[in-house]
Order: sequence, then structure tokens, then C-alpha cells
Amino acid sequence: MRPFNHFSPTTLSEALSLLAEHNGKAAMIAGGTDLLLKMKAGLRKSDVVVNIKRLSDLRCLTFDAANGLKLGALTTLRELTRSPIIFEHYPALAHTAHIMASEQIRSLATVGGNLCNAAPSADLAPPLIALDALVSLIGPAGERQLPLADFFTGPGKSVLQPGELLKEITLPPPVGQTIYLKHSPRAYMDIAVVGVAVRILLEGDVCREARVVLGAVAPVPLCAHQSEEILAGQTLTDKRILQAAKTAAQECSPIDDVRGAAWYRRRMVEVLLKRGIKSIQ
Amino acid sequence: MTNPSAQIIGQRVPKMDASAKATGKATYGHDVRLPGMLHGRILYSRYPHAKIVNIDISRAKNLRGVKCVLTSADNPSHLFGYGKDNRPFKAIARSLRDEIAGVVAIDPDIAEEALELITVEYEPLPAIFSPKGALAEGAPLIHPERKSQSNMFHSYRYAHGELEQGERESDVVIEASYTVPYVTHACMETSVVVAQFDLRDHLTLWSTTQIPFLLQRDLSEALGISGSQIRIIQTAVGGAFGRGLDIYPYEPIAALMARKVGQPVRLAFSRHEEFTAGPARQPVEVKVRAGAKSDGTLTFRDVFCMLDVGAYISWGSVTPLVMMETTASLYQVPHVRFQADCVYTNNLITGAMRGYGNPQSTFFVETIMDRLAEALRMDPVEFRVHNANVPNSETPQGLIITSCGMKECLEAVAANADEGAKHNASAPVSNTARSVAVNRPLTAKDSPHLKRGIGFAATLNVGGGARIYRSDGCGATVKVDDFGHVTLITGSTEIGQGSETVLAQIVAQTLGAKMEDVTVLNSDTDIKPWDVGVHASRTTFIAGNAAYLAALDARSQIFETAAELLKAKPEELLSNNGSVTVKDDPKRSVTIAQAARSRHFKEGGKVILGEGWYDPPTKLVDKDTYKGNISAAYGFGAQMAEVVVDTETGKVRVLRLVCANDVGFAINPMAVEGQIEGGAQMGLGYALTEELLVKNGKILNPDLLDYRLFTSADMPEIKSIIVETDDPKGPFGAKGVGEMGGTPTAAAIANAIYDAVGVRMTQLPMTPERVLAAIMEKEKTE
Ligand SMILES: Cc1cc2nc3c(=O)[nH]c(=O)nc-3n(C[C@H](O)[C@H](O)[C@H](O)COP(=O)(O)OP(=O)(O)OC[C@H]3O[C@@H](n4cnc5c(N)ncnc54)[C@H](O)[C@@H]3O)c2cc1C
Repeated sequence: MRPFNHFSPTTLSEALSLLAEHNGKAAMIAGGTDLLLKMKAGLRKSDVVVNIKRLSDLRCLTFDAANGLKLGALTTLRELTRSPIIFEHYPALAHTAHIMASEQIRSLATVGGNLCNAAPSADLAPPLIALDALVSLIGPAGERQLPLADFFTGPGKSVLQPGELLKEITLPPPVGQTIYLKHSPRAYMDIAVVGVAVRILLEGDVCREARVVLGAVAPVPLCAHQSEEILAGQTLTDKRILQAAKTAAQECSPIDDVRGAAWYRRRMVEVLLKRGIKSIQ
Repeated sequence: MTNPSAQIIGQRVPKMDASAKATGKATYGHDVRLPGMLHGRILYSRYPHAKIVNIDISRAKNLRGVKCVLTSADNPSHLFGYGKDNRPFKAIARSLRDEIAGVVAIDPDIAEEALELITVEYEPLPAIFSPKGALAEGAPLIHPERKSQSNMFHSYRYAHGELEQGERESDVVIEASYTVPYVTHACMETSVVVAQFDLRDHLTLWSTTQIPFLLQRDLSEALGISGSQIRIIQTAVGGAFGRGLDIYPYEPIAALMARKVGQPVRLAFSRHEEFTAGPARQPVEVKVRAGAKSDGTLTFRDVFCMLDVGAYISWGSVTPLVMMETTASLYQVPHVRFQADCVYTNNLITGAMRGYGNPQSTFFVETIMDRLAEALRMDPVEFRVHNANVPNSETPQGLIITSCGMKECLEAVAANADEGAKHNASAPVSNTARSVAVNRPLTAKDSPHLKRGIGFAATLNVGGGARIYRSDGCGATVKVDDFGHVTLITGSTEIGQGSETVLAQIVAQTLGAKMEDVTVLNSDTDIKPWDVGVHASRTTFIAGNAAYLAALDARSQIFETAAELLKAKPEELLSNNGSVTVKDDPKRSVTIAQAARSRHFKEGGKVILGEGWYDPPTKLVDKDTYKGNISAAYGFGAQMAEVVVDTETGKVRVLRLVCANDVGFAINPMAVEGQIEGGAQMGLGYALTEELLVKNGKILNPDLLDYRLFTSADMPEIKSIIVETDDPKGPFGAKGVGEMGGTPTAAAIANAIYDAVGVRMTQLPMTPERVLAAIMEKEKTE
């Protein structure tokens, strides 16, 4: 790896001015489990690295029934798997974090890093979008909030402006049941070939609300709106579930790569979505 | 052979180096640091086939911290390698792993930076990436200097019996094609070497090689210096599995660098480099036909293999010898024809990897066996037992099988098959989120898409050395000193397989010494006697016999002196637990230490120094017919895999792997289990997840994220069953087991998948995508 300058600001304003000073050319490092790999492989060259782990403003994990969850960007995956709050109110997030990477990586890797890295396969993106997450971004132009669903713009790309960072994620109080199913050849340590998050609010047999979000099958985590429409307001018969699953498989635009062929990914969208909905039923 | 009172062999003795390795105290190649040591990096070709028109190293040379830059202009004039087709640096690149230049700098990052400052002007040449393409009319020659003027390196042809007769006698015939992929060792420790020249122009090389003495010779050839100027010091090895069986260009490159700068140079591969510039197990395309009579007797096997050996010849090109052995001699087959064409391409080089051709050939032979059994409506185990190799027989290929527990192995794993049904009723079969949602493990009842199956496969492997070179020998000396300390100096090499411990057990047992008094020296060519290297599951058998002979020699010297001290005859003595005692009068006793000291403290004294050389009674195979007894003993094994197949995703989960191995005698049962389990882990990866994806000569997944090794979380329950047959020539009856653990695994799993869902998998690895495609294909045709 090439040598670089390393800064470790302790306040948000210090961090923001450091980032501004380097014209947004500085690389921010949280857990480093994505960034350092890229730097070592020479895929990302940066002379300046700003460590954001000491910024207490990016750390929080609080919940109340009226406002829901506030999740600091620095929350680690391990914390997600261990937090009683998460376990009680958003068990799908605990489950998702649990099937990511390994215990060692999980204790370094952060939620913010997973989202800002903006891999189409980022495991936390689909369940968080399905849970209607909002993200708070802070930068030279001040703070702004937007739906996580609008955050991603392409592989490795997001709406983050130079010098802007992700501060926290907000989730409304949980509605319905959420599940995230990940398809990968091995039990752990794999990047998702396909990820499917589904959130369903049932009233008796009828689906009142549905969210379907797909990972690793489009340039960004994809909201499968047509599939959601097939489910919303309907009785969830096997036929309807299958129709929603098949529709989601058509909505996505997977590619062939070393992790899987496009046809197979579509098929897995269908299988996992069907299984996800049925397991909530 | 056994010394009745001592209890060292047959015991579960922990590995002597276990605590040093577990606590990080062992000195691996990557840990070697010498005063004034510099760091080398290598620039590889940008094109899979190209002429280097011009190379400008001036900017790199001028970078601060850079000591020198080497190119093909610095090559000695000699070609090296098994095919004598390789050089340190290339003026014509034949693959993307070809070394174009090398930089030495004060640290690896500067060296790396300097590589970027080298400008190379290439003239790309047409490249070929498939053996078929390479053999096509008008294909460009990869080594135009070769006399044959063809990309065919070698075509192996073997036959016994009369194929037509076999076909005539067959009631069923099965025909199938197979594809097995590139896989690689993925050693935890990447390749590394440290080279240093002294003022006498003698080279010392710290190395992770498996063949110190052959490397000495290979290097002397590559560098044009005498082998006696080369000393190889072997560090603790963080994984070898066959990787260290050849000389690779980075080794002479490190030596050239060290010589040029007059300082020690370290060359350590990055993980990426380990994947791209290291050797791989060769991919094979296979066509098989095989038949049997309605009574279940095998009639013939006809096999054609096409091997991609890559741009240079390494040991990958010799694996057909083993594929041929499996084809001709695994089970009794009266009529066999085998052909393997080894072809140059512009792909990566292929080398030796645990099993050496056997995992490939056992995959097709044992899945064909299953199909024959099915066609004959015979139980797959009964069918196998009916045709199994038997003790004290000679195969038509000339293998002389003495001890043989093949039937016992098959029966042992079959006896475990029924447990599966019990298992199935209660065991979790899926770890999907549903089990989280319903908060209890899923069983097959919950999930109609999960299908269970079991499958069997057997294996035959050399277990008493393998005469690949004119000598298959190993030397050993045993020295006994004051305090009764015993030093075994063995030619053999420890690569994590536990040979040190097993050899120390053999020596302690034979001498009657205490295990804790034995030290093993095995890492320095200036000290240890000659040995061929660690390969072919040979160390326990060959080095074990050598150590045994050396210990016997030392014991007779001890007894000679002890007899004088005890006023008895040497024949009346026995030794145990560090003491020599008169058999019939146990009160008369001296310690081994006393005996040794008394030799030192007398006029005309002597050291106790036993010597042993063992070269097994085997032959090189005939160079035209490939027949002959290559090994002094053969190991056998069988596995039963129990799998669950998800019919909607194609994902295969292995629940249990039951492995039985005939090891003759388990000198250390724990070490045997370690070999079986470790082998199984590699076999499982080969079966299900591992594949180097290569396109146009380029590896698409050169990292541990997408080259998927089987992890601990994926491992099934493994049951190891040790079958003992007391081999007549093995040390204490032992035979080799180092490679067998993973050899039948892919076939056992493929057969289990068929049992579960009725599809025959013919391509490895059996990824979810391939299994699902096969299931969909089957549904279409139904
Ligand atoms: C072995 C291994 C296994 C893995 N397995 C998985 C897996 O199963 N699923 C999965 O989704 N991922 C996986 N990953 C990827 C990675 O661990 C995760 O994406 C992780 O959450 C990244 O977090 P981090 O804190 O390490 O990010 P970093 O590497 O520190 O940062 C990643 C990127 O985000 C930027 N960034 C980080 N925080 C902020 C912020 N607050 N504001 C703005 N930008 C920011 C950084 O500048 C960088 O560009 C794996 C990685 C490894 C090495």
C-alpha cells in the first residue's frame, strides 16, 4: 500500500473542515473493511485518510415507540447482532448482520460503511430500505435527510457530495414483519449472490402493506414496486405470492459475473421472495 | 518389529510443533528477517502472449530506495524446469503470469511503486486458451523452439487387456463426459523466499519448498552454479499441499537479485500474486466409457483426458500417471484403455496438488461406478465390494497389492449409512431465516423442497512411496548423547502434516527412549541426509522406515555398550522408557544416557550414531507401457456422504461425511484423523465451492472472497474410521494417508446428489447454479 497521511479528528466540525480542506479527495475510514481492501489493491488511491471513528456524533443506538430508531453511522455489525433493542424491535436487522462476513469483520465493519460503500450487494441496504429508513447526511452545506431508497445512484455511487458524510439512520417504529433472505454458496464470508428483503403488514389474511427490496440484482438496491403492488391490499394466496415473486424477478436487471449468472439470480429472486413472504404468513 | 513393553506408537501423541504454531511462535518463511535484508517485487506481463519489444527501466532505477532492476538481460543462459522451457525473466511472454522484470528496494512498497515506473512495449501475439484450440491446425506455437513443432507436450497412452473383448462381454455400458476445473492450494502462507549469497559465492535460500534437495539441483541448473554452492533452509511451512514440489521462477529471481545487490533479498507473494503466479491443479476434459456384466463384474474402462498444462511445464503435466492408475487399477478391471493429452496453452501453469490427479480421476471413475450399479440394479456398495481390489494380488498394470482393506473400508462406511435416516427426522436441514422466524430448527418435514441423499465412493492411492524419480529414497541418522537425548536427523520435510511427530514416535519406540527426549532436525540441506521430497503420501512409510533403520542401528550400539556395563549379551537386553534392562533380570539396568556417556568417557570411545537409508523395492514404470509397481504399498479408502439438496436453489448441504481409510497401522491415530479431516475439507471445496475462473488466460477471482474455500461453518460432521491391515513393509505396519482424505469426496457427494434429486453432476464444483440447471433440465425432459 502507498503511504498516506492519517487524520483522526475528534469533533464533527473538525472532521468536516478537514474533508473540505482536501476538496473531498480524502478517504473517510470507519471500519476500513471495504476501504483498505480497495487501497491495497490499488483500486482507490488516496494521499489522505480521515478516521471518523472518534466522532461521537456518529454513534448512537436509541429507540422509542413514538419516533422509532436512531442508528449512528458508526454502529458496528456486531452491535446490531448483540443489541437487545434491535433484537426486540427489528429482528431482521440483527439476523442480516449475523449472516454477514465473520465475527472478526463484524466487530470492525460499520453500518455507515456498508451503505456508503454502495455495493449493489450490501446486505444491510435491502432490509433498511424495506423498513423505510431515512439517512441524515452532513456536509459543508449543512445537514439533510432523505429516504435511504434515494441514496444510491450506481455501483459504488451515492448522493453523498464531496466532503459530506453519513451521520445517522432513522427508522420509523416497526410496522409488520420483516425478513431478509440472502443467497450465497457458503454459510458465511460470502457476498450475496442475491438478497431479498420483504416487509409485510398482515391484517388477517390480507396484506395491508408490502415492501420488496432486492440486492445484487441491479446497479443499486432495488425497490420492486410492481411486485409490492401485486401484494398490497390482497389476500396472500399461493398464486398471488408466486405472481409477486415472478414479477420481482422480471423487475430486476441482474448481470452475469463471477458470483452468478443473470438467469440464476432472477430465479433466486423468485424463490427467496416466495419463501420470505410465506415465512411471514 | 514391535518392542513389546513400550507404548509410544499407536498413541494419540500431539504434534510436536502444535503449541509453537498455535501461539504464533513458529518461524514461518514470512517471519525470516536478516540484517540488511532488501525486498524484491516482480512485474508480470500485461498480455498472455507477447514479444517484449522494448523495456525502459531508467525511471524505476532512479526512484529513491531502489537498489536494482532486473530484466531478461540478466538471465543466466540456462533453461530450467521439468520441461526445460522456463527462464527467470521473459523476453517473450507466454502467459499473464510471466515475469518481465524485477525490482529490489529497501522496502516492498517502494519496490511496488518502482514496478509502475517500468515501461514495457509489447507486441501482442495471438494467444490460445484451450487445449483444443492449441491442437488445431495452424494454431500459433507457444514454444516454437521445441523440436516437435506442436503444442502437444505429451500424449500418455496406456492399455491392458483387449478393449473390444471387454465391450463384447458387457451387458451394460455407460458413457459420459466430465469437466473438472482449475483449483489452487490457497495456502495460508503465500509463497516466500529469502536468498543470500556469501563471499564464497555460496547461496543460502530460506524456503517453503517440499523438495529441498531437488530444488538444490534445479536451482544449480537455473543459475549455472554448482549444487554444492547451494544451501536450502526450510522454515516452518504455512501450507504446501503440492505447491512446493517444483522450482518456480521467483526462486532463481530472488537468487539473481541477492547476487546482484550483494545483500539478502526477500521475495514474498501478495495474496493476489499467490493466485495469479502460483501453480494450479490442472483442469481436465474427460470422456469415459465403461461396462459391466449383469452379474456385476466390471468389463472395461475407456478414458480419454485432455489436460491444459499452461504455458510452461511443471508437475501438472505428469498427473496422468496417477489418473491412469485410478483408471486402470481402482477396482479390478480386465480391459482398460487410457489416453491423456497434455497441451500447452497461454494459461496459468499447473502443478502438483494433494492427490496429484487422483481427485480428478476418482471423480469420474466413482460416479461411473454408481451409474453402472444403477444400470445393473445393484446396491452401490455391493457392486463395489464385488469388484474391489483384494490383498496379495497384482493388477494388470503391475501394481503389487499386499495389504488391502478396501472391502473393509466400503463396509465400514456403509454400516454408517443407516444412521442418516435417524438423523434426517430431527436434524436442522436449513439455516435460512425461517428458522429464525419460527425460532426452531427446520426439518425436512417443513420443507418439501429439501431432499436428502447418500452416496459412496472409494479410493486407491500409493501408500508406500512412489517411484517418480530413479531414487525414492530417504536417509536418516539417529544420534544419542549425554542425558539420553536423541536427535533424529531426517531427510524428510515437515509441511504441517505431522511427520516430525510420527518419526519421533518411531525412533522413541525403536530405541526404547522417552518421547520427550527426542528432537527432530529436518530443515537444512547442509545438515540432513538426502531425500526426494515430501509428496505421494510417502513420508511415514519411506522416512519412517529410514528412521526405523537408523534407530535400530543406534540401538545396537547402545546395547553393545550396555551389555558391557551389565555384563550381559546384547541379545539379552531390552530397552524401554529410557533404560536398557536385562530381560530375565530386570533389576540389572542402565539408562540410555549412562550407556552413551560411558562411550564418551573411555579410551577409544565412540559416539552413538545410527544410520538408515530406505529406498523401497519398487520400479519406475516402463516408459512406453507405463506398467510396473510404482509403490511398495497401496492405501485404500471409502467415503459416504449424506447431503440435503435444495431443489429450488440447487444448494447442496453436506450433513455428514463418513471416511474410512486403510492406513496399515495408525502410528498416531490423531494425526491420521487430522489428515483425513484436512483432506476432506479440500475435497469438499473441490466438490462444491472452489474454482479458479479463468477467461482469456486471466483469473477472474484471484482473492479469498470469490475463490471460495470451504470454511469451518460449512463443514459437515466428519466421522473418521481407521482400518488397519498391518502392511508387511510399512514401519510398524503403517502406510501413507496424506492424500486420500479428499480424493473420493467429490464423487461421494455427486452420487449423494443423484440419490437425492436424480441428477448426475458431471462438472465440478457442483455449485448451486449448476445443480439447479441440472434439476431444471431433468424436469424439462420428464
Ligand atoms: C471478509 C469480508 C466479508 C464481508 N462480508 C460482507 C457481507 O457478508 N455483506 C456485506 O454487505 N458486506 C460484507 N463485507 C464488506 C464490508 O465489511 C461491509 O460493507 C462493511 O459494513 C463496511 O463497513 P466499514 O466500516 O468497514 O467501511 P469502510 O471500509 O471504513 O468504508 C467503506 C466506504 O464507505 C465510506 N464511509 C464509511 N463510513 C462513512 C460515513 N459515515 N459517511 C460517509 N462515508 C463513509 C468510506 O469512505 C469508504 O468509501 C465484507 C468484507 C470483508 C473484508
